[in-house]
Amino acid sequence: MNKAALNIVAVLLALLFAFPLLWMFLTSLKPDGVNVYTLGDWVNWSDLNADNYVKVVRDSQILRWTWNSLVIGVLTTVISILFSSLAAFSFSKLPFRTRGIFYVLIVSGLLIPTEAILIPLYETALHLDLIDNIWAIILPGLTNPIGILLLKQFMDGVPKDYIEAAQIDGSPYFRLWWSICLPLTRSAMVSVGIFFFILSWNNFLWPYLAITSEENMILSAGLPTFLSNNTMSLNLIMTASAIAAIPTIIVFILLQRHIVQGVAMSGVKG
Amino acid sequence: MMERTLRENKGSALRRAEPLHLLKELKAILYLIPFLVPFSVFYLWPVLRGAWMSLHVWGIQGMEKYVALANYRKIFVNADFYSYLWNSFYFVLLCTPTVIILGLVLALIINQNIRMRTLIRSVFFLPYVLSVSVVSFIWLRLFDAKNGPVNALLHVLGLPVDINWLTDHRFVWWAITITTDWWSVGFVMVLFLAGLQEIPTDHYEAAKIDGANAWRRFLHITLPGLSSVMKIQIFYQIINCLKLFGQVQIMTGGGPGDSTNTMIRYIYVTGFKKDMFGLAAAQSMVFCFIMLLIAVVQFKITDRKDG
Repeated sequence: MNKAALNIVAVLLALLFAFPLLWMFLTSLKPDGVNVYTLGDWVNWSDLNADNYVKVVRDSQILRWTWNSLVIGVLTTVISILFSSLAAFSFSKLPFRTRGIFYVLIVSGLLIPTEAILIPLYETALHLDLIDNIWAIILPGLTNPIGILLLKQFMDGVPKDYIEAAQIDGSPYFRLWWSICLPLTRSAMVSVGIFFFILSWNNFLWPYLAITSEENMILSAGLPTFLSNNTMSLNLIMTASAIAAIPTIIVFILLQRHIVQGVAMSGVKG
Repeated sequence: MMERTLRENKGSALRRAEPLHLLKELKAILYLIPFLVPFSVFYLWPVLRGAWMSLHVWGIQGMEKYVALANYRKIFVNADFYSYLWNSFYFVLLCTPTVIILGLVLALIINQNIRMRTLIRSVFFLPYVLSVSVVSFIWLRLFDAKNGPVNALLHVLGLPVDINWLTDHRFVWWAITITTDWWSVGFVMVLFLAGLQEIPTDHYEAAKIDGANAWRRFLHITLPGLSSVMKIQIFYQIINCLKLFGQVQIMTGGGPGDSTNTMIRYIYVTGFKKDMFGLAAAQSMVFCFIMLLIAVVQFKITDRKDG
């Protein structure tokens, strides 16, 4: 295939991929009951207005859900990264005999997805009185071992000399981690962190079960309540989706390079 | 990679047969504790607890009585179980090949020196960062039989009737597959792109000199070069497809009839709609077992290759 044809194919495919999102935004701006169906509807921009957005924000708790998603995402990511980094440091730099046992135990976390332990997880959360609490989402979010695997690889790359030199100076382990390993793996931490944040932001099944009151919901689990809510018209559902999608899209545009890199890293290694 | 890490680690632990220094051990384990606490409570414990629960009649109020393997017997004599299991695997058969082939095609296109390369790559990848609810809502409306643009597009192309994408059992899995492909193909593409960049360019140069055409170069250099990424992707996608829940929950509610009810939705309905936690726990254990089986197969396959 020659270059010009390939370019055309690529652009057509990109348009096809962009179509659902463009359609969502257009519909979200159309008055109730107006469908974007024919080509004429696409180019008729005279009836576009932001009333739907006002209505969705006023009648639902969508802004609150966005805030909850943000808080949960940031807390999960930051705590995960710190805990993973500490564990990775131990596995990478501290020689200890039971290392293998602990490593296998932790890596086994990759084998069984949350979906397979839903029922006992719910029971555990119930016992700990965590149901309908944001910590019910954050705490299980801290069990993903992928961060340890990835950060360990990067810590393995920290030269032994640095560690040994610091040890001769009598630095305690914590200082080795804090002032040598942590700064040297900063870029890996950013990539892994972004990956964790996306996972948390898009987490659906568990928050859908663990959160029962509307005010504690996160975006992904809160959106489906629009379906059961009969007062919401179909265009308003698109508006709600658009509101949920906008922060993600903005963050994606700003951090694109890191996101793609983080996802590639976690995926290839995972 | 997981397997490889395990193996490497085993090796190094054996090599270093150091004497056991209790203080040294404890100091090192101390750094694992912050991770291990939530890991134990919200992963290890539920796995064990699930096995225990599966042996009981268990309602939302708690344990009622010990029934040994009766829950498992109930699962295996119930025809529903096999139909949901089949649904889950049917989705694997539809979605895994399509998403991988499409992802490979997109990666090959992006890997060429085309115009607006970065922008086009972003457009392909963008859906991946959206949440499953947003994705399902969009496609729920796109597939609408009467007012949906998908049917509108098909009318333009000459299709005389409306397709009931989400209520006709012949089309509903395709609708879910298209939705899922659109959502996750960007991820597959990015991984293939990373793989493509690792194939040395001089292999292509050499093949060109030998007179190999584009197709042969693809077959003999590109595909083998991508084999490890390919293997990881296939298993990753199989597992992902088996975890299908959000799309069917939002788009079809398991319907029409039961035709899009999957393993996970089965567990969800048994546990949270019918309050039969013990039975649902047993179903979860069966699902765990399937996951472990896949992991073993993956381990064996990558093992053979890596030597």
